Amino acid sequence: MSPIRLMAANDWRLMARSRVAQLALLMLLALAAVAALTAIAHRDHSNDLRARFQAQADQDFDGQPARHPHRMVHYGHFVFRPLPALAGFDPGVDAFTGSTIFLEGHRQNSANFGDVRQSSLLARFGQLSPAFVLQVLAPLVLIFIGFGLIAAERERGTLRLLRVHGRSAGEVLRGKLLALAGIAAVLLLPACLALAWLTVSAQAEPVAAVLLTIGYAGYLGLWVTGVVTVSALTRSARGALMALLGLWAVTTILVPRIGSDVALRMAPLPTRLETDIAIQRDLHRIGDSHNPDDPHFAAFKAGLLARYKVSRVEDLPLNYRGLVAMEGERLTAGLFDRYAEAQFARQRRQAEVVNGLALLSPAVAVRSLSMALAGTDLEGHRRFLRQAEAYRYTIVQGLNRLQAEAVTYVDDGNRNSDPEAARRVRIDPRHWHDVPDFTYRSAGLGERIRAAAPGAAVLAVWLVLAAGALGLAARRLGRDL
Amino acid sequence: MSLWSHELRLFLRQPLAAPLLALLLLLASASVWAGLAEITRQHAAIDRILPQQAADEAAVAAWATREGDAGNVAYYTHYATWDRPSPLAFAALGQRDVAPFVLRIRALALEGQINESEAYNAELALPGRFDWAFVLTYLAPLFIIVLLHDLVSSEREGGRLLLLTVMARSETALWVRRVVLRVGLVILTLVLPLAVGGLLSGAGQPILGMAGLAAAYAVFWALVCVAVGRFRLASVTSAATLAAVWLIMTLVLPGLALLAINAAVPVRQGVELTLAQREAVHAGWDKPKEATLAAFFREEPAWRDTAPMRSGFHWKWYYAFQHLGDLSVAEQVRAYRAGLERRNALSGRIGLLLPPVGLQMVLHRLAETDLVAQLTYQDRIRRYHRELRHFFYPFLFREQPFGPADFARAPRWRDSADTPRPPRPGA
Repeated sequence: MSPIRLMAANDWRLMARSRVAQLALLMLLALAAVAALTAIAHRDHSNDLRARFQAQADQDFDGQPARHPHRMVHYGHFVFRPLPALAGFDPGVDAFTGSTIFLEGHRQNSANFGDVRQSSLLARFGQLSPAFVLQVLAPLVLIFIGFGLIAAERERGTLRLLRVHGRSAGEVLRGKLLALAGIAAVLLLPACLALAWLTVSAQAEPVAAVLLTIGYAGYLGLWVTGVVTVSALTRSARGALMALLGLWAVTTILVPRIGSDVALRMAPLPTRLETDIAIQRDLHRIGDSHNPDDPHFAAFKAGLLARYKVSRVEDLPLNYRGLVAMEGERLTAGLFDRYAEAQFARQRRQAEVVNGLALLSPAVAVRSLSMALAGTDLEGHRRFLRQAEAYRYTIVQGLNRLQAEAVTYVDDGNRNSDPEAARRVRIDPRHWHDVPDFTYRSAGLGERIRAAAPGAAVLAVWLVLAAGALGLAARRLGRDL
Repeated sequence: MSLWSHELRLFLRQPLAAPLLALLLLLASASVWAGLAEITRQHAAIDRILPQQAADEAAVAAWATREGDAGNVAYYTHYATWDRPSPLAFAALGQRDVAPFVLRIRALALEGQINESEAYNAELALPGRFDWAFVLTYLAPLFIIVLLHDLVSSEREGGRLLLLTVMARSETALWVRRVVLRVGLVILTLVLPLAVGGLLSGAGQPILGMAGLAAAYAVFWALVCVAVGRFRLASVTSAATLAAVWLIMTLVLPGLALLAINAAVPVRQGVELTLAQREAVHAGWDKPKEATLAAFFREEPAWRDTAPMRSGFHWKWYYAFQHLGDLSVAEQVRAYRAGLERRNALSGRIGLLLPPVGLQMVLHRLAETDLVAQLTYQDRIRRYHRELRHFFYPFLFREQPFGPADFARAPRWRDSADTPRPPRPGA
């Protein structure tokens, strides 16, 4: 056996005898198991529930009786955001974003019923998931087990014994690194099992699972290097423990919170209410279908009459009211898209601020990498919002077209006074079946990997820095020996 | 007294003591500043909205009152509601970052409107906010642990313990003095910025409650440190033990408790009632109008003598079935709310066992930024919605013409009486 392996094996023997190490390791493994089981169960249950609700909403829509198409525009539709398979590993922002939107004509509603708003403040303590265990708790276990690896040996004077046996500082450090990396590998194991289970049971992409494993291995490797470095650089074991606990508290607890505050300050978001009002104001300016003298709709009408070479809207081959509804929806939807994209752009600016702070905290970097690969980051929710809006536009315009084609202008005008017209404007419910169901297209693997790249890059920078610090520690240790 | 000042000098001469206290003071002050800035932002958002809202209403009034039909006005006018932060909210921002504090409603069926969300950045909400409650709950115990974990063991390891116990008139008094001094300084460091923030936001007396909680919480952690100290562990072992206790109390057990509570009290009624209410409202179009109106009159007998419906559509019928849609899910609304309250109550019970959870629950109750505050806001919206409906009903059921002057008489949302507007810090 190589001397490095021998030294590591010796450390493992010591750890196996240490109460603290045993307890910390066992506790974390138990927690990781609980976290994995509950996160996977919660993901499966939520996803099933949403699928069931979606099926019910589809069925409700198709089962509507004969109606005026515009009434179906207001009856609207519900869509639910399915949970990606890897949400069983890292639920990301799922609890913080609503999972369902009500889609209707002329309006853009919010996604509602996020778990956090339906929970007490306990939800803000952090959700136990395999990702949380690895991001926040595993580094602490590495600290508890590893802070004394070199510092305590130095205090006891056993470090010099190694020197006597002809071991160089570099060899000692590599031995310690290997010893602690072994612990990190054990900590990673439950998460790997959870990922493997998700690839089998929920068809998570194996590539994403492997990349997640690599990402977290890098993150834990960073902590292993950091712990060994600090343990080598500090004079006492207690000093090493304090320094490492401080480092942990700052990077995993403090910086992420401060990051949110800084981002909100640098790129504030308008409230929904303001956006609603702004959209109404713009709509009023570009075309107001309620205003009989509105220039946009006057031009629209003139254009139609000219195109069909008629002088009155009654003589159009299509129902003018339906055409106006289509034109109105086109205008509002254009504004919805514009404002939504502006909102998304602001959110991305906020994310850039936070990512800038990730340079201070590898925990922030690994969190963004993890959510991106799992497909549970905010970009995933934005995808859902975009697709829901596109779907809303498709079904509303489809129904407006039905009003234009299947309902006559005269009947439409007399539907409230003439019972026969009222009967005729209620068109055959088979049309509701023809409206396509909503299917959410989740982000492809390539897209998610690209989204994970910045986090991975920051982690790589940190690893390089840590390796540099380790080199420094080796030189110092060489002088000490 | 001289004994105390002597101990203070000794304590501050320790290499870590003064920098640690300064760091805690800096963090507590920064958190108070960030909290004040946040509630200023929320007040500013509400103030900014008012003129925009007035302009929006004026634009609707300009065309909707032209025909004098109240139905159009009620359909197209969105009325603004808002929930100003309490003067104490700066210390514990709570759920105000994920729950809306401004919401517009119409006199249509309410259940489809009241659960709307705010457009916030979920990735920023995920780690939580940097407020005073966070510094107190999570960071202050770490500082106390660093200051107290080696209270006795450092003397033992330094070989001074025997001398100290021999020289002290009372050994207990010596250790009590040292603990009280350290915890007292930590409490002072935490409470001073809070007090300044309270003065700036006009919080008044309730701030004392928060300060008292901070003191009690700090004392709790000091007692934990003393208890671990009794095991006569080496400094390093006791530091590791205490850090583990902190981890379990602030991160692990609350996480497990959340899993247990959410599993024990599912709240899917929210989605279910929203789906059911839409069915009920839209089925209203196809039901016999007389039956719909009769059902409505059972709830609102005052309009029983309205003229019978002549044509295929009348707004009064429309608003009647909107309201019936709400009533049809009243039971589910109650169940949903009961579920949320049950979750909150269970968390409170967990708080009796876990001081960090208990502290958060009480702090956010005092600050009125918790789930209960969110539900209280919803209750106020419900009352306001009722006022709005009843404002429009005479015009609809008695067919009174609705003019621009009537538009101005619509009931307005007011700041609730118990949250007076504080002076604006830094404004």
